[in-house]
Amino acid sequence: MESYLSLAIAILAAPLFPGIILKVKAFFAGKKGPPLLIKYYTLAKLLQKGSVYSNSTSFVFTLGPTVSLASALVVLLFFPFAGADPLFSFHGDVIVLFYLMAIGRFFTVIAALDTASPFEGMGAAREVFFSTLAEATIFTILILFYRLNGSLSFAEYFTGENPISLAGASGALLLFAIVSLFMVLLTENSRVPVDDPATHLELTMIHEVMILDHSGPDLALIELGAFYKLFFYSAFITHLMYPFTLAHGISNGVIFYIIIAIIYGAVGMTESIMARYKMNLVPKFILTSFALVFFAAILTMGVFQ
Amino acid sequence: MINFTEAILVIILLSVLFSLGSTRLLALVRIMVLQGVAVSLIPLFLKDHGTLGSGPIIFFQVMILIKGVLIPALLYLAVKRVAIKREIEPFIGYHASIMTGLVIILVSVFITNHLRLSLPTGQATLLIAAITTMASGFFLMMARKKAITQVIGYLMLENGIYLIGTALTKHSHTLYIVEFGVLLDLLVGVMIMGIILNNINTAFDDVDTTLLGRLKD
Repeated sequence: MESYLSLAIAILAAPLFPGIILKVKAFFAGKKGPPLLIKYYTLAKLLQKGSVYSNSTSFVFTLGPTVSLASALVVLLFFPFAGADPLFSFHGDVIVLFYLMAIGRFFTVIAALDTASPFEGMGAAREVFFSTLAEATIFTILILFYRLNGSLSFAEYFTGENPISLAGASGALLLFAIVSLFMVLLTENSRVPVDDPATHLELTMIHEVMILDHSGPDLALIELGAFYKLFFYSAFITHLMYPFTLAHGISNGVIFYIIIAIIYGAVGMTESIMARYKMNLVPKFILTSFALVFFAAILTMGVFQ
Repeated sequence: MINFTEAILVIILLSVLFSLGSTRLLALVRIMVLQGVAVSLIPLFLKDHGTLGSGPIIFFQVMILIKGVLIPALLYLAVKRVAIKREIEPFIGYHASIMTGLVIILVSVFITNHLRLSLPTGQATLLIAAITTMASGFFLMMARKKAITQVIGYLMLENGIYLIGTALTKHSHTLYIVEFGVLLDLLVGVMIMGIILNNINTAFDDVDTTLLGRLKD
């Protein structure tokens, strides 16, 4: 029951938090900013519209949004929000889930290529390049967690005997993991400094350019998928920062959503105070995140056993 | 509860890695502030001296002031005065530098495991961080062209040496002659660097040290 409830809250609340990013950015710019529920309004507006399909596209194009939303949703089913047991869990599910997210991206990419627009091909190439680099970081994080905890599933990471958290035995190493996971979050969700979600020029876009041809409900599905993905990464970081024990459900939930809001605020702050990197500096940024976790993984060999 | 010594050591390692990858000089100076403060905080959190007299406490505060405020301020002035913003063509590129950082930490873990020093428990990481900081500072001095980045490399080297000192001496002494010597050294070094940088800049319109190779009688 608790797991259904926490999942339902997570699914319903995910579009709320990007509104926080917009609010933080507006605060830094000295503006009032859109209402907090802006993303719900956007979704409702998009769902009411009809879709326009170009003559040059095939069924692949219509498949893209559905698959990308589905892959983002499946990941949420496996995640123990605020310490509640996830709906599904098996040994090794993290690997499956990260590959599922890759499938979602793959379908977004081929949908973009299907439109035969040169801009979309360019965006797809960049997206794939950067996420390939980010994958190295993610899997090094999994290696690190395996060394710390000996498990390969989200439920075992955060709810088992020996949960991974900052307060744990080798919690200091998780500082590395948190910083690099935040960098991966920025990369994977196309935020500044890797990509600018508010840009208006196709030449400088990465993720936005791939979804230019989608409209109406299709666009809503893609946006929703993006919200879930961002929510998943923030929840991941939240669990690293604070251990959620099963004892008190409600206060856990409150703390969980407060920390998530702080993380989204941090994303908004990064976007307000940083300019995006030049394209050729982005691989360095991602490589730094990889190096950080690799540092941590090396340290587990030496002393933190 | 979270282990503060290890957390600070991890922050030092983070700063080392970021300094290897940062292109902007001002960012580098900020990273050095973080690293200087973290390094000077380390002795306060070590387990084996729970009770500190007022003398050492004042000393550590002076240390934080010098490493965290005075030296960075001098560096900042130097960066502002010679109006350089970034290292454009380093001898060794940024990707390669980060990779070298990984190799350095691998080697320092190896060295620490094989030195078999009789360190108190929990201080092996201290030695790893110390060797990594030292070697990375050395590497930074070799890999960059601008005089100011080389001085920052030197600062990192000194931070590493200070950490090694903290790891090995266990602070059983009450006189901080050596530490003060190191600090004075650093301070003078940074001041001289500022003056020299200014002179190089007026002579060549740039602070690239490779230009000095062109000097002929």
